[in-house]
Amino acid sequence: MKMTPIYEGAHRWIMFGRDTNKPANIIDTNQYIVRTANRCLLMDPGGIELFAPMLAAVLHHAPVEEITDLFASHQDPDIISSLGLWDQALPKAKLHASSLWEGFIRHFGCESIDYVGIPDNGGKIKLDSTELKIIPAHYLHSSANFHIYDAEAKILMSGDVGAALEASGAPIYVDNFDSHIDHMRFFHQRWMPSNQAKRDWIERVRKLDIDMMAPQHGRIFKGDNVKRFLDWFEGLEVGIAV
Amino acid sequence: MTDKTHQTKSQFVAVASIAAELSAVMEVAKEISLAAANAKAIAFRAGEKARGFQPITDFINELAKETITLVNAINEHALLLYRLTVNEYRTSTAFDKFQAATKMAEGAQYQSSLQTSTEAVEQRMLECRKQFRRHVGQLLDQLQEVMHPARAARVIAANSRIEASQAGEYLLSLQAVAESVDRAAQIIHNNVQRCRSALNVININE
Repeated sequence: MKMTPIYEGAHRWIMFGRDTNKPANIIDTNQYIVRTANRCLLMDPGGIELFAPMLAAVLHHAPVEEITDLFASHQDPDIISSLGLWDQALPKAKLHASSLWEGFIRHFGCESIDYVGIPDNGGKIKLDSTELKIIPAHYLHSSANFHIYDAEAKILMSGDVGAALEASGAPIYVDNFDSHIDHMRFFHQRWMPSNQAKRDWIERVRKLDIDMMAPQHGRIFKGDNVKRFLDWFEGLEVGIAV
Repeated sequence: MTDKTHQTKSQFVAVASIAAELSAVMEVAKEISLAAANAKAIAFRAGEKARGFQPITDFINELAKETITLVNAINEHALLLYRLTVNEYRTSTAFDKFQAATKMAEGAQYQSSLQTSTEAVEQRMLECRKQFRRHVGQLLDQLQEVMHPARAARVIAANSRIEASQAGEYLLSLQAVAESVDRAAQIIHNNVQRCRSALNVININE
């Protein structure tokens, strides 16, 4: 599991991914943590197959008892099917996920972890003195979907928005936006069902000050590539299967 | 497939087989109960000619009820075994993954912090296995117990045939009742035997 620090300030962001040992037939995912003095948040911690390498990687940055928060952008298995294992590993932790998905996500096993339901209009997660905003991203692609925005680090964890499917071992950051489009187009057109939802999200996200947009698959967008992505996405027709 | 995975799979299959066999036993026990009611009506019509048959019908009915009560109790036990199997699967999977993570985290600053969770999950896993073994033993005893009414029913069926031979024109009807009780008792016996075999497949000494 490759570990890449993407922000170092009063708190840290670390990206985990490009796992060379993962089975070839499961989709490659990016996991992120926010590490503060005494707390650690895991965002979209991943599927069962990824649990052991992910936990091992996190142990380089935080002890088990300080992994206090999990966030699931939505209910998919590559996002949170490892929940039943985290549930047995973490002595005191909360899962922040949509209220709408609670009855579904609990199927993965959630007995000791405290499920903190996120209402449709979002909310916040406080880690020591760091406050993260939970941004609604409904229907992108899941019917109840959220992203995480860190105003201090100026990072938006954007779930499946901005995702790209490419060969394993791809670089961490988008270097050439135009050539990257080929890896993103079909994913967004097929997985994102609603142009209305897309426009609503773009309008909301344009109001945020973002240096980095970090999706759950593919590469991270930095600087001007964030704006390029928003412009490209705005013009893209989605929901093409019908 | 690892030995452990194979064993867990066997456990799931064994517990599911028991539930299926017991459901069939329950149906057959209900049939016996119905046959007893039928026999009682025939014996009543036959009057004096089937006097010896009348107490037998009550006895058949009692055996059917006893079987139904025992099967209900066994079903509850089988459900508990299923829950234990699920918990055992969850805890043993977690234990394996925690051990793998510990190995992968070689050299990580906080590797040792996983030790408490690993020990706790191992404890829960061992407790599940202990409980599973205990309940399998109890379930085998209950299955042995349910064989008794089935055996008794076969003896009664033999007696019924003798009594039926005294019943004149009711001979055929009462013989049919005796045959149906005998057949049902045989089915129960065979199904319960299969339950026992399914349980014995599980390597409970692991």
